Amino acid sequence: MLFNSFAFLIFLPLFLIGYWATRGRARLWVMFLASLVFYGWWDWRFLFLLLFSALVDYSLGLLLENEQDDAARHRLIVLSIVVNLGLLGFFKYFNFFADSAAQLSDALGLHVTWNTLRIVLPVGISFYVFKTMSYTIDVYRRTQRAERDLLRFATFVVFFPELVAGPIVRASRLLPQLTRDHGFDYERALSGLTLICAGYVRKVVVADSLAPLVDVRFAHPEAHSAMSLLIGVYFYAFQIYCDFSGYSSIAIGLARILGFDFGINFDRPYFSRSFSEFWTRWHISLSSWLRDYLYIPLGGNRGGTLFTFRNLMTTMLLGGLWHGARWTFVAWGGLHGLYLVSQRLIGPSYQRVVKSLRVPLLVSNAFLILLVFHLTCFAWVFFRAQSFQDAWQILSNIAAMRDMSFASVDNKILVLKGAMLIAGLLLVELLTWKPRQVSPARRLVFAAACIWILLLFGSFSGNTFIYFQF
Amino acid sequence: MRDAKRFAVWFTLLAIVVIAGDRIGAFVCSRVLVSSQFRFSRVYRGGSNADVLVIGDSRGVHSFYAPAIEQLTGRPALNLSYNSMSMPIAEALLSDYLERNPKPRIVIIETTCVVVDRGLISELRTYAGLSKRLEALYAREHPSAAAAGRLFRLLPYDSEFFLRALAYLRRSDQDWINRNVIAPQLAAGPRGRWSPRPHQENLDALGRLVPMLRSRGIDVKLVIAPYHRSVMVDMNEITDGVARSVPGARVLNYADAIADSRHFADGVHMNADGSNIFLRMLCRDGVLQCQPIIH
Repeated sequence: MLFNSFAFLIFLPLFLIGYWATRGRARLWVMFLASLVFYGWWDWRFLFLLLFSALVDYSLGLLLENEQDDAARHRLIVLSIVVNLGLLGFFKYFNFFADSAAQLSDALGLHVTWNTLRIVLPVGISFYVFKTMSYTIDVYRRTQRAERDLLRFATFVVFFPELVAGPIVRASRLLPQLTRDHGFDYERALSGLTLICAGYVRKVVVADSLAPLVDVRFAHPEAHSAMSLLIGVYFYAFQIYCDFSGYSSIAIGLARILGFDFGINFDRPYFSRSFSEFWTRWHISLSSWLRDYLYIPLGGNRGGTLFTFRNLMTTMLLGGLWHGARWTFVAWGGLHGLYLVSQRLIGPSYQRVVKSLRVPLLVSNAFLILLVFHLTCFAWVFFRAQSFQDAWQILSNIAAMRDMSFASVDNKILVLKGAMLIAGLLLVELLTWKPRQVSPARRLVFAAACIWILLLFGSFSGNTFIYFQF
Repeated sequence: MRDAKRFAVWFTLLAIVVIAGDRIGAFVCSRVLVSSQFRFSRVYRGGSNADVLVIGDSRGVHSFYAPAIEQLTGRPALNLSYNSMSMPIAEALLSDYLERNPKPRIVIIETTCVVVDRGLISELRTYAGLSKRLEALYAREHPSAAAAGRLFRLLPYDSEFFLRALAYLRRSDQDWINRNVIAPQLAAGPRGRWSPRPHQENLDALGRLVPMLRSRGIDVKLVIAPYHRSVMVDMNEITDGVARSVPGARVLNYADAIADSRHFADGVHMNADGSNIFLRMLCRDGVLQCQPIIH
């Protein structure tokens, strides 16, 4: 079920009635069953996979907690990782690796036949696998107590607001919140509702208005001028940002109304002055997951410069692969790895030059924000393009600057609309930079403005969320 | 319980503010819409003095360049053509035009739009508040969206048409014409065997429209504008269909009237040069009553 679907409009009030009318375990049952309906609306058969994943990690969590022998515990955590990554590997990467192996064998002249399977990617598998895997790892590290209540654990795994596209809410944050009933709180409800309104504006107004303009440019890059492609790349940067941050905002707002705290997942990433800052502002739940369960276990920055660079590259390459079974995603992750490495190499020298030339802080920051944004856009080309050839065509056409006039751009009216929506978004992000107490009256005006903007500029074609495919 | 009551009050206030803002916003938008120079706004504002009225799909847009028609005939012209214009929409627009504006002397219908499906209807929701006919067409095609539009009055203004109306607030949109020349690889393409098939719904609408216009003393010309030879089409189904649906009507078929590729922007649309040559052909053949100096 999509947050921007008619079915969800019916589902949500029914769920809220059931949620607020119950207490204790009855409420847990309401949350659990409603989440199954939410997920099963897409394809009920994959509920078994979801429940299997939950059951495996529930059992392994208990075994890990009860087991005192380190070797046995080690075997259990390996089993958990193998099962979780096995599910992910089969459903998401089987054909990718089969195709890649076939291409490699062709290149080596071996011409081995590799069969591929017609596998449907279960929605949200990347998210719930990471969530359950982090739980067993935390239990293994003894930083998290194993959950003994199967219903509570299953609800933690399937809780619908964040099930299919995150944020990845870890057990240490969500499980304790599931142990108590949350009463209705006026302030939380208002703040949750305004978050939901803002999320819908990002998704339905900004992202979905930009989507057709982006799609047409990336589908046929050869048919567009350099200016048109440049606009397509900029628009994609904001489309994916608003699409995903919109979903996160709706999920977090919904959870807040119910009394849960999911944290934040995006924090104005395009105002970052460095790539390390970017990754503390973009998809925060994933980047912190990769940091805690991949980068630090690899050694983090403890083993010297070269080891740090290796760990950064490994983390970002795998982070890229997490997004999808395509080499262009790996290239995207690799580019971000290179950015992080380059930043560590060049950053100190840059700071010395800025200091010695007495460049005003505002100018230096503006330069860095623009630099980080444009390098991020460069990487987005690989993320969005269907192939390296397409990415190369887009980048080479832009670099050649063939026809940089606005006259060469199709759908000028819609392009101007998109540009104005982006400008409005950035303006709102700047104006709300400093967090402050917001009165109910201001929240009312904000929510009403969001609804008017939705009515006037929304795209109601029911576009799916980009991160569903990951 | 106290928090729930406070939230209920807040939510009720929100609903009131949203509905009030929606109504006020829609009123402002409707004023802006009718004050625009966009072609459809001119229909509903009234007061148009066009003697020559053109309607059709994108081929109508790029074949009948209104400033050139005015120059050739010395009479005011208005091109109401738009991409994907189907005949029921054309019928509704022309009927509305005649109710709000002095009748034109001649209406030219670019007849290949009888093959167009109903794509444009969803965009016309913006003008549905000004036209019972368009409202009915939209409600028939998109009943739930039409109902939502009655609840939230801002919704119909969420369209490309409204953005265009804003863009043409202060200047006319009658200068639309292709300036480019067909790409050589397209121009060199093999002669096509395309046989466009008219929709019965379009033919029925044409069958109602032409007698209605003629009953008001308006001269109606059914014209097929030139195609590039690379997509040379067989027009028999269109001409036969029109002959069946509009007794006594004659389709003026110029489909293969222009051979030079330089006068086309693509396979189905002429450019400014092509349009100019085509309009002079219409003058030569008496379809347009042009000023003597042109001959």
